[in-house]
Amino acid sequence: MAGDRESGPNRASLEAVAERLRAGGRLASGDAAVLAATPDLVALGALADDRRRALRGDRVTFVRVCEIDAVAGGAGQDRLPPRAGEVRLVGRPADIGAAVAETSRLRELAGPVPITGFALDDLVDLCRADAAAVREALGALREAGLARVAEARADAGDDPRWIELAVAEDLPVARLTVASADSDGLANARRIAAWGAAAASVRAFAPLPAVAGPRPSTGYDDLRRVALTRLVVDNIDSIQVDWRLYGPKLAQVALTFGADDVDAVSPIDALEHGWRRTPLEEITRNVSAAARVPIERNGRFEIGTARP
Amino acid sequence: MRGELEEIAAHLRGGGRLRAGEALDLYRHAPTHELGRLADAARAAKHPERIVTYIIDRNVNYTNVCVARCNFCAFYRPVGSGDGYVLGFDEIFAKIDETIEVGGVQLLLQGGHNPDLPLAWYEDLFRAVKHRYPTFRLHALSPPEVIHLSRLSQLPVRTVVERLIAAGLDSIPGGGAEILVDRVRRLLNCYGKATAGEWLDVMRAAHEAGLRTTATMMYGTVERPEERIEHLFRLRDLQDETGGFTAFIAWSYQPPHTELGGIEATGVDYLRTLAVARLVLDNFDNLQASWVTQGGKVGQLSLAFGANDMGSVMIEENVVRAAGAAYCMDEVEIVRNIENAGFVPKRRNMHYELLGDPIFRERPVPRMLELAVARTGELDAPPPEIARYPARSRAEKVRRTAR
Repeated sequence: MAGDRESGPNRASLEAVAERLRAGGRLASGDAAVLAATPDLVALGALADDRRRALRGDRVTFVRVCEIDAVAGGAGQDRLPPRAGEVRLVGRPADIGAAVAETSRLRELAGPVPITGFALDDLVDLCRADAAAVREALGALREAGLARVAEARADAGDDPRWIELAVAEDLPVARLTVASADSDGLANARRIAAWGAAAASVRAFAPLPAVAGPRPSTGYDDLRRVALTRLVVDNIDSIQVDWRLYGPKLAQVALTFGADDVDAVSPIDALEHGWRRTPLEEITRNVSAAARVPIERNGRFEIGTARP
Repeated sequence: MRGELEEIAAHLRGGGRLRAGEALDLYRHAPTHELGRLADAARAAKHPERIVTYIIDRNVNYTNVCVARCNFCAFYRPVGSGDGYVLGFDEIFAKIDETIEVGGVQLLLQGGHNPDLPLAWYEDLFRAVKHRYPTFRLHALSPPEVIHLSRLSQLPVRTVVERLIAAGLDSIPGGGAEILVDRVRRLLNCYGKATAGEWLDVMRAAHEAGLRTTATMMYGTVERPEERIEHLFRLRDLQDETGGFTAFIAWSYQPPHTELGGIEATGVDYLRTLAVARLVLDNFDNLQASWVTQGGKVGQLSLAFGANDMGSVMIEENVVRAAGAAYCMDEVEIVRNIENAGFVPKRRNMHYELLGDPIFRERPVPRMLELAVARTGELDAPPPEIARYPARSRAEKVRRTAR
């Protein structure tokens, strides 16, 4: 069964890279470009999957997130879904005072559930990139009950010092995200990898854009980006995929292309369609069907027990 | 297990045919990427030119009235239902006009087992279509519909097939196969519409009469993995015998709004099933991607797991939509996905003969951002030509008397 997938120098280059990775080596200069150029999506996915397994075994973590609009707030809301593992404030607050006030308001409602919120670049921007003001804002948010900054946008800047500052203020960033559908996935991955230890406090990187562009990405685009990110980014534990945004089918396949953490699983167990259609059953079933072990975590990345 | 999988892979690479136990082992145990690699190599061996085909056609469901009552179907309505419909000939002609406008070359015409549509209705429809559109193709009437007509007319299947061919039938779609294992068919309440043997016999008769047909599998209901494999081997055996199948299409059961209910099989399961099908069906040239059930993204990924055809632009779809899935890809989107995956898109006909490059690159074609449905708005009165054919059901007789 001769394949037509690739032949000649490109195939030889891909095999050389694969051989080096299988032997435990790291990507050399130029390897990422070879990986990015290969049309052999399955071979790329297999390499990323090997890397994921070496880092994380067969565990796939997921978190059930209750999102609260940081701008509109949850005024009038007197309780949160009891199954949430993370309460997340999303959107750009009007100012730091509003962010702190909304966090304080949620603290009592959330109880032991970690509150995360905001994008680090928004907070920096609200503080006019003044380090002292950012430090003060992070401290105030932490005091108000924020457990982690929800995200830092990997394509919004190229300065990891704010991430380090957040760690120094004991309010680390939960995950890196990508805001623009137009941003280059390989460039993002290379930039994050170049941050080295500065990004190591961030637990997950979600490489697929959080906002769809005018031209939707394809399945190949998405999986290539996930796999490349897993192979290039070796300073962040988990590659994350958004369950709600990318849907169970694509997100599940992504778990075989290097992803190992699932974000944005619904915290609401609506039973009108039967228990097998509840979000918890759906995520558990899909992770298991991808031959992985589903493990629920919370917004601090503290894990529970493996689900059967 | 690793050693056994390597043995199977070596057996395949040496040109051996997959055995049922090996196929089951691959489906159950092979890493998904290994399955993808093997299936992609099998696809490449058959299609080294890296062409991925598609067809511009329209799925028209001429009636939703059905006496079969399969418990996995969300589309049918029982005889006498206020939601039941039959399309008129003029409505079907209008759909053909729209199809031709966007470069379409055929209708995929299927419908319920409506007792009030006799064989003559189909013959008259096919003749009328061929008279108005001589080069337009009719890919019509799945095996259970042929059996239904055989029962209604009390004529042998072969005679029904011959009469339909004489009227203008060009090929038979592989619908209604579900899982070709009678234990499963009994559980799905589709044993009565066609047993596994009857389904295969219709295809055998069609192939012997000179028609080419497709084959399908709807998986993910109540079948066991070994029954999926048995289904594939039954198709492979018939293909060895007749060589009449052009393509195989697998799709996952869509549970919403069905009597059977349950949950849909996952995306990974789809890709694994497709890959195993490519490896078992070594005598099938073409495997279609089912983007209509999997969505565009996993549909495109099918091209890495053994598929070499993106199926149909479809234009209209009613059956899967009735179960809640409403994906849409027009020609522009299908071509974009094929090229994005590194393949060369080519239009084809029902026999998988290449017709040319994308039609939208030759002339302006209206974009299609959602699939049409059989009928919109209130259901009208039955089409006038229905009165030319004798009513069979009590409900239809009462309706006609009341009018």
